[in-house]
Amino acid sequence: MSDHEQPSSACPPAACAGCQHHAGNLVKLGVNMERFDYVVALAGNPNTGKSTVFNAITGLRQHTGNWPGKTVARAEGGFALGERRFKLVDLPGTYSLLSTTVDEEIARNFILFARPDVTVVVVDAGNLERNLNLALQVLEITDRAVVCLNLIDEARRHGRTIDHRRLARDLGVPVVPTVARTREGIDELLTTIEQVATGETVCKPRRLGKGARKVEQTIESLALDVEQAFAGVSNARWIAIRLLDGDARIEAALETGELTDVAPGIAAAVGDGTLAAVAVNPAARAVVERARSLRWDLGHGFHDELTEALYTEAASIADRATILDAEGPDFDLDRAIDRLVTGKWTGFPVMIALLTVVFWLTIAGANVPSGLLAQLLIDKTQPLLHQFGAWAHFPGWLSGFLFDGVYLATAWVISVMLPPMAIFFPLFTLLEDAGYLARVSFNLDGLFKRAGAHGKQALTMSMGFGCNAAGVVATRIIDSPRERLIAIITNNFALCNGRWPTQILIGTIFIGGLVPAHLAGFVSAGAVVSVALLGVVFTFAVSWLLSRTVLKGEPSSFSLEIPPYRPPRFWRTLYTSLIDRTLYVLWRAIVFAAPAGAVIWLSGNIHIGGSSVAEHMVSGLDPFGLLLGLNGVILLAYIVAIPANEIIIPTILMFTVMTAGVAGVGPGAGVMFELDSASDVSRLLTAGGWTTLTGINLMLFSLLHNPCSTTIYTIWKETRSARWTVVASVLPLLLGFVVCFVVSQVWRLF
Amino acid sequence: MPAPLINLIVFLLGGALAGIVFWPGRGLLSRSRRGRMLASRVQLEDALKHIYHHEAREQTCTLSSLGGALETTAARTIAVVTKLQHAGLARVVDGRLVLTEEGTRYALEVVRAHRLWERYLADETGVDPQEWHARAERQEHALTRAEADALSERLGHPRFDPHGDPIPTADGSVPVDPVVPLSALEPGERAVVTHLEDEPEIVYAQLVALGFYLGMVLRLDARADQRLVCEADGRKIVLAPLLAENVSIQRLPAGEADVMVSVESSLADLDAGESAEIVRISAACRGLERRRLMDLGLVPGTRVAFDQRGLSGGLSAYRVRGSIIALRDEQARLIGVARSQRVKAGEQA
Repeated sequence: MSDHEQPSSACPPAACAGCQHHAGNLVKLGVNMERFDYVVALAGNPNTGKSTVFNAITGLRQHTGNWPGKTVARAEGGFALGERRFKLVDLPGTYSLLSTTVDEEIARNFILFARPDVTVVVVDAGNLERNLNLALQVLEITDRAVVCLNLIDEARRHGRTIDHRRLARDLGVPVVPTVARTREGIDELLTTIEQVATGETVCKPRRLGKGARKVEQTIESLALDVEQAFAGVSNARWIAIRLLDGDARIEAALETGELTDVAPGIAAAVGDGTLAAVAVNPAARAVVERARSLRWDLGHGFHDELTEALYTEAASIADRATILDAEGPDFDLDRAIDRLVTGKWTGFPVMIALLTVVFWLTIAGANVPSGLLAQLLIDKTQPLLHQFGAWAHFPGWLSGFLFDGVYLATAWVISVMLPPMAIFFPLFTLLEDAGYLARVSFNLDGLFKRAGAHGKQALTMSMGFGCNAAGVVATRIIDSPRERLIAIITNNFALCNGRWPTQILIGTIFIGGLVPAHLAGFVSAGAVVSVALLGVVFTFAVSWLLSRTVLKGEPSSFSLEIPPYRPPRFWRTLYTSLIDRTLYVLWRAIVFAAPAGAVIWLSGNIHIGGSSVAEHMVSGLDPFGLLLGLNGVILLAYIVAIPANEIIIPTILMFTVMTAGVAGVGPGAGVMFELDSASDVSRLLTAGGWTTLTGINLMLFSLLHNPCSTTIYTIWKETRSARWTVVASVLPLLLGFVVCFVVSQVWRLF
Repeated sequence: MPAPLINLIVFLLGGALAGIVFWPGRGLLSRSRRGRMLASRVQLEDALKHIYHHEAREQTCTLSSLGGALETTAARTIAVVTKLQHAGLARVVDGRLVLTEEGTRYALEVVRAHRLWERYLADETGVDPQEWHARAERQEHALTRAEADALSERLGHPRFDPHGDPIPTADGSVPVDPVVPLSALEPGERAVVTHLEDEPEIVYAQLVALGFYLGMVLRLDARADQRLVCEADGRKIVLAPLLAENVSIQRLPAGEADVMVSVESSLADLDAGESAEIVRISAACRGLERRRLMDLGLVPGTRVAFDQRGLSGGLSAYRVRGSIIALRDEQARLIGVARSQRVKAGEQA
């Protein structure tokens, strides 16, 4: 029992032996147990509905973050039963705990070192064998576990019924059937968790059976050694297996006593494999040395045999517990959908159609809300702020700086960015939850492989169409560091939401303006789509180039599980996605856009030698700009608006007014603005010396220029490498310069 | 504004120049960097390695053989040897080069770094086998003692490198196994490949191209003066005795080998509607990739059915233990299935 009110530093070491969960290690893993009595870990394969179970249990009382020191997401939440409060920690979805990927280490280390009071293993009833493989491994480590048999409705649909009582007998732990989506069985799950946590139910978990394998003797003899060296350790056999598999983390943990509490309270860093200088237990060292020499004799085959043994066991348990319907499965909806969605002739059209629908919904749906937000935040609120400034006797420059610079940029970014993101990402997440995106990855892998990249890049690229920073974060799904870097560097070529307004406006003016009015809408839409497709072409081309030069290497392995189609939780996804995206946009606006607004206002209002800083810079940049087929205004706008692509057009308009000396347009120096109709903008830009070439090159440059500062920051956080962050930022920019230059020279030749 | 044509020409010339200088791997900059590396320490270490390898094979090492290995002039070679002598790492005895104890220790560290790096490349990256040796040749000089130790720990203290050479331990001991070359087999004998000699590189490249890898099980069918004929992985391999000298094997007892050589087709051979039972995962599938495949349920004895092919080619989806897993063709080819067990949907398994 544990009734800790404070972290373990306040407990005497002797208390540790009686405590179920290891509060000290929990704190190190970033889990604060101050207001909770018990900690429950949630483990399971990917695609088992684990997050649905998590949401069903915790409702809205949850928050997400990262595991300390790693770029792996973590969710934790809480629930209460009667007087008792439980904390629920969602572990990364893993196929096994034996291998050494980051996800598996995190999951394994949490169960092993933090010793949660209960570990719940979420198991997909329709996929019992593979899921039981993980369950059996968990049962080797801990003996306080509950199996949550989820998705039994799906299994029923496919003609299988699972005898959960039989399963519970075979496994030695409680098994609770659930349908998390409809909350069926969740209450019983919670009660079972409580019973196991408080010791009401005692589990006798099944440990890996003994078979006629030649390594069996080795395991047994080493397990004996472990037991002799550490009296009372409950999972000696598992420890012996890990030592024979060469698990360095377990070796270290044995030597410092972390695993066995021989020397409690020693500060070995949990989760990142480093060891502080600690006292080493000589008995442990002897066991480890013996294990190492035994390993040499066993050779490579040990791991294989272990995995095979686990699977044989899992298969026989699953067989005994599964009852197949006599008539066989119902009409297989999954296959029917797949025939349509991934069929030879229908696959690509469906993909393109779906993506088009998503984009169209985003653009069309965002129009009105963007306008309303702009009205609210800018048209209504900004004058109020100015009035406030006048009332508070702010000097003119302070009012201008705060309200025309900082506030305006922030408000602009929010009103332009929020509606499209709030539509695009929920749609995207719905597609992902339904299982469609895995099939996209499956179908496009061939193309990506030929470009030297990974099929999952299809997903990160599509996410990049919403927001490049989100696309960069999404590259976590790619295991190989080389291919992940390629995905990160080329993500910029996906035309993100923030650049669409620029493309649409310029396309309408300069390309639509070339054709008769009745074709204009169609042609300008076509132009924007062509630019987006060009971005995809560049993604492949640059991926190919990178994989032939600086990121050389063979294609990594590609193993993808294609989940069955599942109805997504529509409202819940909409809600959580909306909240996530709103918070993100607000954060980004404040952190990145506000300073940009300040810089813009200052550049327009600080005067040196008669003209403003902006005018100086524009005339300085003009020659280079014209060489590229752009002009100084555009270049300056891109420099000051690195933080946010959304404010490019307003900034350009403002600078154009300033430098072209157009009177009567715009609210004044250093203040961004927008015009109501495209033709107004057209007139202004033409007065500023723009030609069709300028328009075309602006569209190209907008596609190809460096990533926005949020993306650069995210790239740095994900890669932790200054070198690659610089490459990712500078490469697209150079490409933009080169392409614009070539286009402008070729254009001028004719 | 100068004429656009001139601009374009200038730009193209400038681009070409930049490419010549900066191209990764082949440009002037990277060549000069490599040249600078060939200075002092690297040459010393290469010399130490050369002498060590000769001693391990019980061959004599002379100045001329060292000069050939370092690919440098006689004068330079003498300079290197003099430095080794001054540092107490080597001695010249009767015209032969011999390592001192200190020198042997140093050489072992370099060899350890080299082989650990090859193991890392093989297990955790997708680098082509033919590039392992060359890359390790460069990296062995860059790894510090601490880095080598950390790498060894991370890889699980491997005993052998991917060519089958033993990796010296941290305290400088080298496990020694008796070496039996392929050319010593008699027709009809079965064996497993335990070592592939990585120098000379041409020979190793040929072996890799023929499909040899560590752990490959083969049977010697026939031998004549200029060729040996083996069977492995369901196909026949013909190789010259020179190549066979560079392949070390370990004889297999008759019973065990039968099961392994009977595999004749792979998962990639399955057609629509077919299913089969997995017999083994080829040893050419290593490290992380192997573990991931096994974690997904692809272990010997599993029944796998073909589901569908990816639309842009190159990979297929298979039904495994109730889930659908997609694998690329190269991976599917490494999973051996029993041909007689291939069953069309609807037939009895």
